[in-house]
Amino acid sequence: MLEKKISDLQAEVEKLLPTISSMDDLEKFRIEFLSRSGKLASLYEELKTVPNDQKPLFGQKINGVKKTLEAQFEMIRSAINATATKQKNEIDISLPGRMRPKGTHHPITQTMEEMKEIFVSMGFGIEYGPEIEDDYHNFEALNFAPNHPARDMQDTFFIKDDVVLRTHTTPVQIRVMKSRPLPVRVIMPGRVYRNEAVSARANYFFHQVDGLYVDKHVSFADLKGTLVTFAKNFYGSDIKYRFRPSYFPFTEPSLEMDITCFLCKGKGCRICKQSGWLEVLGAGMVHPNVLRNCGHDPEKVSGYAFGMGADRISILRYGIDDIRIFFDNDIRFLNQF
Amino acid sequence: MRISYNWLQRYINVNDSVENLAQKLTSVGLEVESVDYLGKKFEGFVVAEVIDVQKHPNADRLRMCKVNVGSKDGPLQIVCGAPNVEIGQKVIVGLIGAIVPHNQHDPTGKPFTLIKATIRGVDSFGMICSAKELGISEDSSGIKVLDPNAKVGTALADYLGVNDVAFELGITPNRPDCLCHIGVARDVAAIYKKKYSFPQYKLTENKKTSITKIATVKIENVIDCPRYTARVIQNVTVKESPDWLKQLLMTAGLRPINNIVDATNFVMLEYGQPLHAFDYENLAKHTIVVKNASAGEQFTTLDGKTHQLKGTELMICDGKKPVAIAGVMGGLNSEISENTKTVLLEAAYFSPTSVRKTAKRLGINSDASYRFERGIDPNITAEASARAASLIAEITGGEVVQGIIDLYPKKIVPKKITLKRSRVNSILGSDISSKEIKNILSSLEIKSAPRKEKNSFVCVVPTSRPDIEQEIDLIEEVARIYGYDNIENKTSSEVMFSKPDKDEVRINSIRQWCVANGLNEVLTNSLIDRSTAKMFSENLVTVKNPLSVDLEILRPSLLATMLQTIAYNYNHGATRLHVFEIGREFSISTEKGTYLKGYIEKNVLGICLSGDANQLSWSEKQRNLDLFDIKGLILSLLKSIGLDNSDFIYYNAPSSLTEMTIGVEINNTYVGFIGRCKPELAKSFKIEKEVFYAELNLDQIVKFDTVKKFKEFSKYPTVIRDVAFVVSKTISVGEIEKVIRSVGGEEITSVTLFDLFEGKSLGEGNKSVAYSISINSAEKTLTDGKIESIIKSIVNAVVTKFNANLRSI
Repeated sequence: MLEKKISDLQAEVEKLLPTISSMDDLEKFRIEFLSRSGKLASLYEELKTVPNDQKPLFGQKINGVKKTLEAQFEMIRSAINATATKQKNEIDISLPGRMRPKGTHHPITQTMEEMKEIFVSMGFGIEYGPEIEDDYHNFEALNFAPNHPARDMQDTFFIKDDVVLRTHTTPVQIRVMKSRPLPVRVIMPGRVYRNEAVSARANYFFHQVDGLYVDKHVSFADLKGTLVTFAKNFYGSDIKYRFRPSYFPFTEPSLEMDITCFLCKGKGCRICKQSGWLEVLGAGMVHPNVLRNCGHDPEKVSGYAFGMGADRISILRYGIDDIRIFFDNDIRFLNQF
Repeated sequence: MRISYNWLQRYINVNDSVENLAQKLTSVGLEVESVDYLGKKFEGFVVAEVIDVQKHPNADRLRMCKVNVGSKDGPLQIVCGAPNVEIGQKVIVGLIGAIVPHNQHDPTGKPFTLIKATIRGVDSFGMICSAKELGISEDSSGIKVLDPNAKVGTALADYLGVNDVAFELGITPNRPDCLCHIGVARDVAAIYKKKYSFPQYKLTENKKTSITKIATVKIENVIDCPRYTARVIQNVTVKESPDWLKQLLMTAGLRPINNIVDATNFVMLEYGQPLHAFDYENLAKHTIVVKNASAGEQFTTLDGKTHQLKGTELMICDGKKPVAIAGVMGGLNSEISENTKTVLLEAAYFSPTSVRKTAKRLGINSDASYRFERGIDPNITAEASARAASLIAEITGGEVVQGIIDLYPKKIVPKKITLKRSRVNSILGSDISSKEIKNILSSLEIKSAPRKEKNSFVCVVPTSRPDIEQEIDLIEEVARIYGYDNIENKTSSEVMFSKPDKDEVRINSIRQWCVANGLNEVLTNSLIDRSTAKMFSENLVTVKNPLSVDLEILRPSLLATMLQTIAYNYNHGATRLHVFEIGREFSISTEKGTYLKGYIEKNVLGICLSGDANQLSWSEKQRNLDLFDIKGLILSLLKSIGLDNSDFIYYNAPSSLTEMTIGVEINNTYVGFIGRCKPELAKSFKIEKEVFYAELNLDQIVKFDTVKKFKEFSKYPTVIRDVAFVVSKTISVGEIEKVIRSVGGEEITSVTLFDLFEGKSLGEGNKSVAYSISINSAEKTLTDGKIESIIKSIVNAVVTKFNANLRSI
């Protein structure tokens, strides 16, 4: 009899358990089976009526049922609890975070800042000079003879006959060499002006970074090493480069540096005009006339100078077709940088 | 400068590929900007002979031809529709794969590639071409029939003499010697360690007439004209030049004109010596006088333009009148015409400065002036004249009169420059031997002789190289030919420590702060139009030669160009503009000036806020910007760079640009202002919305010291008490705060306004202000009594001073 009751209880519990989904159901279940007056308790009551020799056997059986029941009860209780907590904490995590507005650096300043950073790490200081410059600093002291065709290389805006908008940042070299004791090792970033028709490729103002190092025993080999170090840091250590002899009135010997076109990797494309090379800077040894103009003896000191255009380089780096977009300052453009 | 490869071969046998030559020219400083393979478009076209013509079985108008193209595989069958094809003709055949430059059957004439075709059942292996199809003339009436002597199998480009390559060289202003083929040959010889040679020609003079009998030359201004030579060629016939000459000139980029002009141009591109041919009969008294123009005189040049002369121009005159502007351009009045029978040929050396001044003033840039202003070789003149005379005689059937008039009163001699090996190597950072230096110089025709001092030379520089003036120029020549690539890239040097100065660091941190706080950096134009500029200042810097009137004035204020940027963005659909710029403002001044006397250049930070205050968001209400957005921005910015004691001052004087203007002072120094652009100003830029603007003078900002020192803070607890008053609206919250601080004394550690409102319940003209006051002592825990007494004295003071009512404590 008791045996049947035990197995009936087990069967009943098996059936009921999966239907319990709330704390209320669970409580009902507890009262029905586990409470003092519950069905399990009544089994213990019945145990008393069993012959003594069978008591241990039935006792064990009922104890086993009790253990299982209690364990199942606990399991269901914690499952229901977990679901309840989960529901309580549920949020829509796809709601946007509270954003800080995004600010941006202008791409040209970004380029210039990177250049500055590299040169500063190589021991260069930073100097600025006037944008309204006199003929002496912009041309004469830099060995541009009056009426020399080299002046045609730089179409000039005039404020007065002998006052111009600087056509390059190179005149700052003169100011630095005249005002500072040697050695000097500086870069000179800034805005410069050329009286040229505005087009997709040329603007009437742009930004340059010039460099100067004057000391005893500065050589062309030092210049080359400095430029290669810069180029590898700025353009990437895997670039190829070449140096070509060139001409600037204020340096001799002069060079221009080309690097392999980073669009076509040297195969030839529209950007590099099929040559595979991009000209990225001009440089040379400071011309003895320039040293003399600044009160230095070219037999005793020497120096190198270089200059590069940040706008042109930015165009190449960011794949921009029209230089004018830099100065429209369209917010949709700026937000890309 | 365009250099023809075939032309160059006349003086030096290069014997290297075009690609290698181009690369080597670039490596010595004659940069090859592009290479033009002229024969390329005729690739796949050959001279052929028609050996059989049969009727096409299925088409009346077509013929089946057999042509010999000189191939081992035998003749080709080609179907041809031209009416004029006949056996025995020499014709041009396009082989399969060739690209026909012009499609006669296509209205746009688009090129097409030849393929094997079956035309009405008959196979055709190419095409017999018309002149038009090849783009060599407009004739499309039938196939082009060549000279019977044409050699079968010859590539068309060779047959036409266009199998040439043109190098576009970027010649720097210091290398006038390379503005001609011989000059380039000289550098090529140095590169390849070869010899080059001058052209071989024969000058036959007519001994019957001597030039001195029929012409005279006089130089009145020998400064500007150190040398003048003249030759006369008689009985010339002016006509078209021979093909070879026309072809070379075209390859070099010049348009053939007539045999005389072409001959002078040819010799210019050969020797670099510009020449001019006058019609001898049009020269009054058959005389040349080189002298300055008379002031006010008018002169019409070959191109038909009339110039007003100042008197500084050097002119070539005849017995009566000017006939050419020396070294710049000839006159219409003595031009070579079809009827010219006798030519006076000028070859001269004019001073570079004089030619440049004149050419620049008159706005003329001719091939001659280009060369003279850079400096030609004064000692090549007579040689070039003889060469040109001989060529003119050859191609015009004329006779060269005996002799040359050569006025060269003061011979220009080669410069002598000392060069030391030690200087070469110290400048270059190299170790080049004396022998190698000598060899390099000699390959450039610079003779060097040893001096007493060891490893030191005296160098004699040919007059073709006016750019070589001092030792450094010789060092450059050595470096150029030695090869820049062969000089080390030295990466170790004496260490030099530097750090960016504090101004640079501060400006950078300002820029970083602006970006981190959601502002977009802009870079605006520095030139604007006068009427816009005038709204900002009277002390304007004007460009004398602007690109246009819109770009005439250097911006007196960043606001001017930033407003242009704001307007541009509103026109392009933007709704929220929070931008900044770090740039310069320019003005004239009677004072010292920033760098140059009379000019002020100020480094400025400009910030513009306009449109939406915040970005559209689910959690934050959209609101309009107001003055306290930009005031807060500036204060936070100043704090971020370590400036704490900034003091805001209200401006009473109305600004012409902004309203509600607040001046900013730091330590009693004015550093900038904050305000709202006047609506009229914004409207003049077509901006309808409010624009808030702040400007800080960075030249001042960088001067303040911001050394930070630790200050002990109290160990004792802080008590926070709130007080609220009702006061008249006319009383500023700043004044109340000042009173609270001064009455409360040093125990007051902070005073924060946390509530501000107006309402009917407060009474007309009143507002409620509520402050949170932190009270703390550095020495002890304050007793309740002490705190009460502090609050009481604050309340009393505010109530009495501002006639306020206490709302709550």
